[in-house]
Amino acid sequence: MSDLKLRVKEMIIERLKLEGMTPDQIDDGAPLFGEGLGLDSIDALELVLGIEQVFSVKIEDEAAGLKAFKSVQALTDFIAEHAKA
Amino acid sequence: MTAPPADIPAHLPHRYPFLLVDRVLEREPGVRVVAEKLVTFGEPYLQGHFEDRPLVPGVLLLEMLAQAGGFLEAEPLRGAAIFLAGVQDARFKGPALPGDRLRLEVRADGAFAGMMKIRGTVSCDGRDLCTAALLVKRL
Repeated sequence: MSDLKLRVKEMIIERLKLEGMTPDQIDDGAPLFGEGLGLDSIDALELVLGIEQVFSVKIEDEAAGLKAFKSVQALTDFIAEHAKA
Repeated sequence: MTAPPADIPAHLPHRYPFLLVDRVLEREPGVRVVAEKLVTFGEPYLQGHFEDRPLVPGVLLLEMLAQAGGFLEAEPLRGAAIFLAGVQDARFKGPALPGDRLRLEVRADGAFAGMMKIRGTVSCDGRDLCTAALLVKRL
């Protein structure tokens, strides 16, 4: 697992208080919302705030969110692409 | 951008006995609001909470913060334009009593897809009585 992907998973677990879950239990390709992790709209806001705080990457609107929250892999790619060098 | 203190009943849809903001002192839409609620022996809920020891129910302190949070919105709220979606990290540190001038301070933490997180503190004479984060959803 890439270092960034591991940090993304750790952020998700910490921010959403997914107690008892470990990074390797989160499937890279599974959707974060609906099926998969089954997150809701409050979780979405928590993730947006967490991503901003931990990675200094802003998810500006729902269109960006739709892309970034497709899966852990998509979110990792989104952060890598938008993080300041 | 600082907005002038709002006309409270024109901005919030709440009415007696559930309008729990009496004055807006500072208001920066989308950023920060400072408001006040003056507690009196005449509050209807104090009749039963409690007969021998009137104190404002903790959940109403949260409601005061939520209503103060309504002034983070630039435009007046019509009907149930906003509803409470979550409460996090609520702490009650002291009782709010008749005669108290409660300071309601709220700050926007962030927003995404119609959901907003606000952090608020109810204080009286510089003592924090309640702190919490609230999630509010705009319809």
